[in-house]
Amino acid sequence: MDTAFLGYERPDGGIGVRNSVAILSVMENCNSVVRGIASAVQGTIAIPTLFVRGQLGKDYETTMASLAGLAKNPNVAGVVIIGLEPVTTDELVARILPSGKPVEAVNVQLAGGTIEAIAKGTRYAARMVRDASRLSRVRVDLSELVLGVECGGSDTTSGLSSNPAIGVVADRVVAAGGRVVISETSEFLGAEHLFADRAVNREVRRQFLDAVSALESNVLAQGVDLRGSNPSKDNIRGGLSTIEEKALGAMAKAGKTPLVGVLGYGEAPTAKGLHFMATPAPAVESLTGLAAGGCQMILFSTGVGNPIGSMVSTTVKVTGNRNTAKSFSDNIDFDVSGVLEEGEPIDSAGERLFAYTRSVASGELTTSEILDVRETSISRFGLSM
Amino acid sequence: MARAIVLHTDDNVATLIDPGGAGSNVQLAGNGGGSMALNADVPYGHKIAIAPIAAGAEVRKYGQVIGRATTAIAAGEHVHVHNVESRRGRGDRPGGQ
Repeated sequence: MDTAFLGYERPDGGIGVRNSVAILSVMENCNSVVRGIASAVQGTIAIPTLFVRGQLGKDYETTMASLAGLAKNPNVAGVVIIGLEPVTTDELVARILPSGKPVEAVNVQLAGGTIEAIAKGTRYAARMVRDASRLSRVRVDLSELVLGVECGGSDTTSGLSSNPAIGVVADRVVAAGGRVVISETSEFLGAEHLFADRAVNREVRRQFLDAVSALESNVLAQGVDLRGSNPSKDNIRGGLSTIEEKALGAMAKAGKTPLVGVLGYGEAPTAKGLHFMATPAPAVESLTGLAAGGCQMILFSTGVGNPIGSMVSTTVKVTGNRNTAKSFSDNIDFDVSGVLEEGEPIDSAGERLFAYTRSVASGELTTSEILDVRETSISRFGLSM
Repeated sequence: MARAIVLHTDDNVATLIDPGGAGSNVQLAGNGGGSMALNADVPYGHKIAIAPIAAGAEVRKYGQVIGRATTAIAAGEHVHVHNVESRRGRGDRPGGQ
């Protein structure tokens, strides 16, 4: 069976499934310039940030590494960076330059204010979009795919149909030599013993279990009840009663292959195979971590309906809930409700989703792209100073 | 008749894949069979007990423990946040459970 797709070759060897020019903000006071440029130039994506200024230590490193990761994602053809002052801007540029892709920077203080910065950045972006448009898609092997798997607005159908169907695609990608990343640490509570048993060695097993126990320890130390946030109110409406039930269904997205590595937030997988990335469960933070880690695509399962996608990583919304497939169809890309309605085997639904995944990788647009239901939010761990 | 799926032979709950009406029967499929009578309306996607579950006993789905019954649950009864609770992430409890 032909498993190739059509993608864009990047200078560092990465393969893009999209060919966008990213307008990237170094700090929150530059976001208006980013939005101004992105609204003026077709073919761009705006990546604002809410932090950086005043951040220290792990937070500063996570934000800068994640911004650089988003810029280096192979879906991005070139980057226009908008900063306030040159020192921080230059640091971010230096982190992106090894990718070999075009990078231009504008500093609002040096450019002469907001209007001049928008004008300068718009010219950079317009030239970069023209250069990017000269690239053509080429046939590439499925092993070039880095696939994120995510769920949001889950219900009991997620664990029974859409998550296992995504798992079939995950297994196909791993079998072809590609990479798959599952995230959302809290959504392993109650299922971690099963997932840990899939670790390729004791060290990977320990790293995974440490990530889950660190999250639970944090909840216990705060003296709070996780049930206040997870399962969420809409998960409960959809029939999910506990985090254990949700986790046992969520894990099905990862298919059946061994767990080969554990990644920090926004970290890129270097080995082939299935990885776990420690991220918060809310979709935008998790999607941003996956995109910063180099995922070109994310298969996103939803039960009661969650419309959101990543700004950088092409996001596919999959549902197995027959009601959501109809009532939320504007935001659904792929319907596997036949699994529960007509007894379609999971493998059959998974193979259909796999064919669709390759079509999207080759250029078919998804609902979150077409409707621009896309956000970026990088995790933070402490206070700004 | 509304349908419900039993995922594993060790399970004591089934998941409805149709809405179930009070007084009607539910057809069990998957790793279960026969039918159960509902004593209340149960929404699409929600769970029912397929055997009596004692207060404090484990609630099992996927062949795994998904929580603990906070009260005795009769066969055919709706199983959800009103009568089952998580054992994880419970910072509100001494020892976290």
